Amino acid sequence: MIDQILVSMAATIAFAVLFHVPKSEYLLCGMNGAIGWMVYLFCTSKGTGGPVASIWATLALTLIARILSAVRKMPSTVFLITGIFTLVPGTGIYYTSYYLVMNDLEQCIAKGMETFKIAGAIVLGIIFGLMLPQSWFNQLGKVWKRKV
Amino acid sequence: MSESKEILNLAISVGEVLLKSGGEIYRVQETVTRILEAYGIQDYHVFVITNGIFATVSEQQEDAGSMVRYVPIGEVNLKRVAEVNQLSREICEKKCSITEAHEQLEQCRNSASAGNLALVLACGVGSAGFCYLLGGRIYDSMVSFFLGILLEIFLLLAGKYHASRFLMNILGSALVTAGSLTLYVAGAGILSDKVIIGGIIPLVPGVALTTGIRDLFGGDYLSGGIRLMDALLTGMCIAIGVGAMIKIFQLLGGGTLLL
Repeated sequence: MIDQILVSMAATIAFAVLFHVPKSEYLLCGMNGAIGWMVYLFCTSKGTGGPVASIWATLALTLIARILSAVRKMPSTVFLITGIFTLVPGTGIYYTSYYLVMNDLEQCIAKGMETFKIAGAIVLGIIFGLMLPQSWFNQLGKVWKRKV
Repeated sequence: MSESKEILNLAISVGEVLLKSGGEIYRVQETVTRILEAYGIQDYHVFVITNGIFATVSEQQEDAGSMVRYVPIGEVNLKRVAEVNQLSREICEKKCSITEAHEQLEQCRNSASAGNLALVLACGVGSAGFCYLLGGRIYDSMVSFFLGILLEIFLLLAGKYHASRFLMNILGSALVTAGSLTLYVAGAGILSDKVIIGGIIPLVPGVALTTGIRDLFGGDYLSGGIRLMDALLTGMCIAIGVGAMIKIFQLLGGGTLLL
């Protein structure tokens, strides 16, 4: 469990470096990615499939990214793009093309559909996360500023 | 240049940097209009899509101006997005003149938070991390680490020669697959599928997918469509690269099943 948290954090930070995130935000990006991955693992361990787990994980990611962006005065893209990478269906792309080449079309279509489902789930998760009005998050940023 | 044109030039240059570095459409549009307003321009029209910015100011007056910029999809650089965001905030608080803003923009344009070595290492760590997360062992992750490094070196070199993005994705994923399968065939005892998945993760279109959705959500259907199309095609290119390489190895190995 701890290894999963640490590795997902390190991997997300690696992507933060690849996308030239400002150095001061590396750790927060890593944290966001780790939280997304934890939510995903938790959901799948409770028996939901990949797509449903992806919705919850992206929803959590998007909300945290928006909170962080209000608190840190950074565009929310910074946290969202790096965090989402743990959930993007790279596995699906691989197995789809693998089964296609192996001429196992039934598996190929199943994997292909699953890939699209996960991509669609990520879309839904982000959209649900974006639905809350920005003013709430701005308020949160102000409250935070007063405390510090 | 008349003043309105100078202001327009500044605003649209800021927008260009933002758009090129991976900013969403609504952010670019809002930034450009806010800068125009901050310098006192009342009458303006701004239209932004993924590949370009179109803007006119003071259409009905003497000093009317209009500009169009073509902005090819560039390398994602979130530091620039953050810095330009900061700059536009300063402009809106009327803290800087047009010349100062131009100087700051020039700085933003050249800023990057990581050098090539850091990028190469980061790509390795990212590949290794995902290999482990998706079920590889530590041994597999180490192999993935080196393949990730190889991939980023290839991508940097290909970027230098302005190779097409499709070609880069196909060849990049083929490279990772070839590396992994060669080791597998040589009897290194790796889980070749996990290693490949870890290795192709840096190519996966996460940015295009995320930005595309945000554009769609902001009502910019055209731009969102362009991004999602980009994501779809990139995914297909990766699949082609991986698939072709597996097939080649399969043929060379006399039709044995690889996994």
